[in-house]
Amino acid sequence: MDFSITADQKELQTAARRFAKETMAPRAAEADKKGIFPEEVYREAWKMGLMNLNVPAEFGGSGLGMIEQVLITEELAHACGGMTTSILANCLALQPINLAGTPEQKAKFLAPFCADYNLASFALTEPGGGSDVASMKTTARKEGDHYILDGEKAFITNAPHASLFTVFATVDRSLRHKGITAFIVPRDTPGLTTGKEEDKMGQRASATSTVNFEGVKIPVANRLGQEGEGFRVAMTTLDSTRTPIGALAVGIAQAALDHAAAYSLQRTAFGKPIAEHQAIALKLANMAQLVDAARLLTMRSAWLFDEGKSVTLESSIAKCFASDMAMEVTNEAIQIFGGNGYMREYPVEKLLRDAKLTQIYEGANEIQRLVIARELLKRYS
Amino acid sequence: MDVIVCVKQIPDPETKLRVAASGKSYDPDGVKFTIVNTYDEATVEEALRMKEEFGFGAVRTVTVGPARSEEALRHTLAMGADEAVLVETPPNAVLDPLLVARILSAVIKDMPHDLVMVGKHAQDDEAGQVGSALGEYLGLPSYAFVTGLTPDSGAHVLKMARYVEGGEEAFGGPFPAVVSLLKGVKDPRTPTLPNILKARKKPLKKIPLPEALAKVGALPGAGNPTSETLAFTLPPPRAGAKMIEGQTPEEQVEKLLKSLKEEAKVL
Ligand SMILES: Cc1cc2nc3c(=O)[nH]c(=O)nc-3n(C[C@H](O)[C@H](O)[C@H](O)COP(=O)(O)OP(=O)(O)OC[C@H]3O[C@@H](n4cnc5c(N)ncnc54)[C@H](O)[C@@H]3O)c2cc1C
Repeated sequence: MDFSITADQKELQTAARRFAKETMAPRAAEADKKGIFPEEVYREAWKMGLMNLNVPAEFGGSGLGMIEQVLITEELAHACGGMTTSILANCLALQPINLAGTPEQKAKFLAPFCADYNLASFALTEPGGGSDVASMKTTARKEGDHYILDGEKAFITNAPHASLFTVFATVDRSLRHKGITAFIVPRDTPGLTTGKEEDKMGQRASATSTVNFEGVKIPVANRLGQEGEGFRVAMTTLDSTRTPIGALAVGIAQAALDHAAAYSLQRTAFGKPIAEHQAIALKLANMAQLVDAARLLTMRSAWLFDEGKSVTLESSIAKCFASDMAMEVTNEAIQIFGGNGYMREYPVEKLLRDAKLTQIYEGANEIQRLVIARELLKRYS
Repeated sequence: MDVIVCVKQIPDPETKLRVAASGKSYDPDGVKFTIVNTYDEATVEEALRMKEEFGFGAVRTVTVGPARSEEALRHTLAMGADEAVLVETPPNAVLDPLLVARILSAVIKDMPHDLVMVGKHAQDDEAGQVGSALGEYLGLPSYAFVTGLTPDSGAHVLKMARYVEGGEEAFGGPFPAVVSLLKGVKDPRTPTLPNILKARKKPLKKIPLPEALAKVGALPGAGNPTSETLAFTLPPPRAGAKMIEGQTPEEQVEKLLKSLKEEAKVL
């Protein structure tokens, strides 16, 4: 057993940390306050090679392993959770193509993301429900060598700015999950429109909107895998992106701990720094334990993934634990800041609002617990 | 035209230093090190810029330092340097600037060098001696505080600029030469992830200190530091600030003036 990272990994981590500190952090507070989508930050991230981390090198991507993705994600999230979500969204949207695309589809659709700055969106959730994927209402009707897509997707990250969508639709609603099929849909396809940007509680540097499909006609060549394979494509995609979401939560929580520890050494009450009041010191100790445990869980999941093992259980544990942990740690950070913590002028209330999303998206934590319990009980039956 | 850039890894300016048990240096334990000294990074950028603009041969980076200094060299390779050389010292080796310059000159003599570049000084000890000393030991002209340079390989001269009181001076001189740089024309580039990964495969040669010192042996004063650090102390802690209380700005100003006159005695 070896917990150390390699020199390569350390250097990637350092580069990500530097980018986060120099390019993301200075824009984070303003982007949050005004709900700005800081496109120039995303362009810089692309230039640095921080986007499309999971696209194989043969198509021009970084082709990094999961451990590297996790290390980088944590560093970015330390500076801004919202920006990190928008930077990661390409990995989420392109993963179905990585997993199920033909060599032709990969060459055609992955290459533009590596040759130039482009955003992609993963369109699975619908206004009627995200957890119950099998009850999906968006339909794909086959007409000759085309499919016609009709329906609506909700809460889609980067949708207002995306040039490509990976879309999940059903060819037959009565088949439930067995009818779900995945498609690649370029933005300029007639009938595809995106709604207004959502006004969010947190992660406000990221853009989220609905995507509407009205008679959107796409060639059969844009179908990913076979009809009915879409559910599996969506689930295996999420199996591989849950671990970085755990890392994103760890990054936010580490930022909260860093702010809280530094503040507790400066702020005095009753004649000494609040860090010297045991109630505060113990809070910091608990926060540090939680962050550490969550980091180790995400690293284990990443390591297993890189070993080619199934991570359904471990990535669910990592994502669920890390996101719940991030809520607790950011909440405690606000408490340590006292009244100042509640003020927008200080950095910690944003962290709590940003952390909240990690409990909801990429499979709400209730669903993660269902998955964990199901995998667990298999071992006892 | 081949360029050599000498670089140094230094403690992160934000890291807290403690005095070592010997009382003659800082304690490297628990110190976070930067990737590379800022002036050296600017120098690597300037060398790479010239390589790109004027189609130079190779840019090679060299450092004298403990094993951790490899990180600094890898960083220069990720920026775009072609090769790197690490003269690896034991963790607590005591080297003064002149000895470092001797070691560097001995190593550089075995490498193609039309131009040797250094940052104007390292931000840890701020000695600023290696550039000039290198010129001496290599028997080359050395130019200091340069703010940008253009080689004219045909005429075999360098056109350079440097800040002088109230302006910038343009001057020139022959090369091969040693140039110590205050700042380059462009800000240092940030290595991209793909370049970081490519840098792993670039050649990085390690020379153990004894081997490098053997080369130095032929020089006068062989292998011994020419200066000795007697003591290493931290600056005295700063006295706390005094808050001037008062209901109105007028009252506060009055108290401030009184304090400046009577306590600080500066008025
Ligand atoms: C900012 C943001 C960005 C997003 N980005 C994307 C994106 O890019 N692409 C995308 O496809 N989706 C995206 N989503 C959608 C996200 O994945 C869903 O919100 C999430 O899956 C939950 O679905 P829902 O909101 O419809 O909640 P519902 O499914 O309606 O669930 C409501 C509540 O009920 C619980 N619940 C549901 N079923 C069960 C059950 N069987 N047992 C116990 N509890 C249950 C849920 O956990 C939740 O607490 C995003 C969401 C947000 C807020």
